[in-house]
Amino acid sequence: MLEIRNLKASIGDADILNGVSLTVNAGEVHAIMGPNGSGKSTLAQVIAGHEDYEVTDGTVSYKGQDLLALEPEERAREGIFLGFQYPVEIPGVNNAYLLKAAVNAKREHQGLDEIDAFEFLKLAREKMAVLGMDPKFLNRGVNEGFSGGEKKRNEILQMAMLEPSLAILDETDSGLDIDALRAVAGGVNALRDPERAIVLVTHYQRLLDYVEPDFVHVLSEGRIARSGDKSLALELEEKGYEWVREAANA
Amino acid sequence: MSRRSLPIDALDRTVSALSDDALADARRAALEQFKKRGFPTTRDEDWKYTDLSNVIDISERWLESSTGTQPTDVDRVRELQTAIDAAWLVIANGELNRDLSTAFDDDGIEISPLRLDDNGLRLDDPLADLNLALLRQGHSVSIAADRSSARPIGLLIIDSADTAPTLSQVRIDIELQANAEAHFIEYHVSAGDDEHYSNAHINVINRSNARTNYLRFQNRALHHSQTTRLSVRLETNSAISHCGIDLGGRLTRNDLTIDILGQGASAIFDGLYIATEGQHVDNHTRIDHRVGPAVSAQEYRGILSGRCRAIWNGKAIVHAGADGTDAQQANHNLLLSEHAEIDAKPELEIYADEVKCAHGTTVGQLDERALFYLRSRGLDRERAKRVLTRAFATSIVNKSPIPELHELIGHAVEQRLRDLATGAPQ
Repeated sequence: MLEIRNLKASIGDADILNGVSLTVNAGEVHAIMGPNGSGKSTLAQVIAGHEDYEVTDGTVSYKGQDLLALEPEERAREGIFLGFQYPVEIPGVNNAYLLKAAVNAKREHQGLDEIDAFEFLKLAREKMAVLGMDPKFLNRGVNEGFSGGEKKRNEILQMAMLEPSLAILDETDSGLDIDALRAVAGGVNALRDPERAIVLVTHYQRLLDYVEPDFVHVLSEGRIARSGDKSLALELEEKGYEWVREAANA
Repeated sequence: MSRRSLPIDALDRTVSALSDDALADARRAALEQFKKRGFPTTRDEDWKYTDLSNVIDISERWLESSTGTQPTDVDRVRELQTAIDAAWLVIANGELNRDLSTAFDDDGIEISPLRLDDNGLRLDDPLADLNLALLRQGHSVSIAADRSSARPIGLLIIDSADTAPTLSQVRIDIELQANAEAHFIEYHVSAGDDEHYSNAHINVINRSNARTNYLRFQNRALHHSQTTRLSVRLETNSAISHCGIDLGGRLTRNDLTIDILGQGASAIFDGLYIATEGQHVDNHTRIDHRVGPAVSAQEYRGILSGRCRAIWNGKAIVHAGADGTDAQQANHNLLLSEHAEIDAKPELEIYADEVKCAHGTTVGQLDERALFYLRSRGLDRERAKRVLTRAFATSIVNKSPIPELHELIGHAVEQRLRDLATGAPQ
């Protein structure tokens, strides 16, 4: 599904990604871990199409097409979803409006009619119930005045409504209390599907207790320093990131 | 720049031709005062950024052409009356249209010809002098004590300039008796190929515990100009909630002055202005906290594109002894073009000890983070921009004091923003 080859990216004068290669297939859950500043979030943003980052080398193919040639909105309509580390507050834009606009943008791209208003509400309420969200959140401004946990649940709600082919969740676990973490993990697990790939970008191993990854990669200084199965995450927890960096430089 | 007045002979003739009614003396006095001072100029501190040349030219042409009355656009009035359920006072080109006015049938609203308790002169506003000198009819509106009705009172100020330049003067004095509550919508609209200048002066007195909810909505033709003044006096425990929305007009100048005269009074006043190529919109607010405790809060927002200019000047004066005053002011501007200009000026003068005052102004572009967020959800760049621009305006619309009108106003704002985006005229 996603084929990243020797990806290099910079922002301003700073090189952040220094040759990342990664293959993600449908049905797989990957965890990308690494210390602060290792390039985890940059990788997520580049895949989503953030224009502040300049791709200086390498290729990214998604479902066989050149992902880097697509606008962010085209990537979204093609089934890529980025769950933001810091979801943006947008006062004055109704949460339901955004959800519906997002769902319809994708449906239009697929040649489908707009979602029926009743159907939309029913679906949104169902997904919110699973995530333990009050339906009132539908009528609030997007993330406006939401707590950290509410913002992250809202990201998962959007993901659940959009049913992406490739979901990249950037530090979705950060700042969550245990109840919110469980709710978010439940939302992610509900989306596990043979047709869908999920990439979890995370600093800590904690989320991986609830969402079990098939593969774990450790990013260090803009490269994947080590890959393994879920036991790598436990090893990291024990030995710390310094261990990976030393091993990579050895 | 020398101070400009109007041709004296033509002014005299025009004022003399007005009916010899109870206002005749007041008109004469106002005329003399206006002759002495003329129009404000950009040398006057309050008019630094607004040059009235266009308005003066229109006034001169109007005086010279001495055209008769213009017909009322009855269809437009009926259309509005269908869209907004209100008790209407319809003032077309400065004259009351009694047939189209429904407010006379409403219990608890008393409308009579303008009564001036004093000579009606203001010491500080030449446009008020001009208004009174040329006033054909003024109106006094009294809301009975304890009356409370959710149905708004509509002040429809509709002007047309089809065959000649026109000038219209509107003066309405409103008094809410003790414990009364009333909603007002002051709706400005105009049409016609020729030029027009409207000069409207409205005074509101809130007696104790009275509550006024006031929406001023302006959607004039883009080649028409207006100046307005709304003066509000708040007695003990009374309140006004105000929102002024300006979408059209070539030159728009709104003065809003609020006097807090009684303890426990509250004044919320917000505004939204949207301007594009060739438009000039100036909002001057002034609040006098003469006693405390009392609260005031204002938030004005502007969306500017093309070559246009906007001014927001918010003055708050906390007089000596007005302890317990809480005065907040904010002005936020969204600049969609590098040619748009905003002059934002908060002015706080505090002469009391125990006060809480704050102000903030911002000028900026759309938030790139929010744009990317929306695009990452599948909305294309143009749509994301539209959504964010509308959201910037919506926060004011949704705070405006008559909830039943939010949808209607929201649609008008949206339509205006769409015109902005496509560069289409009104």
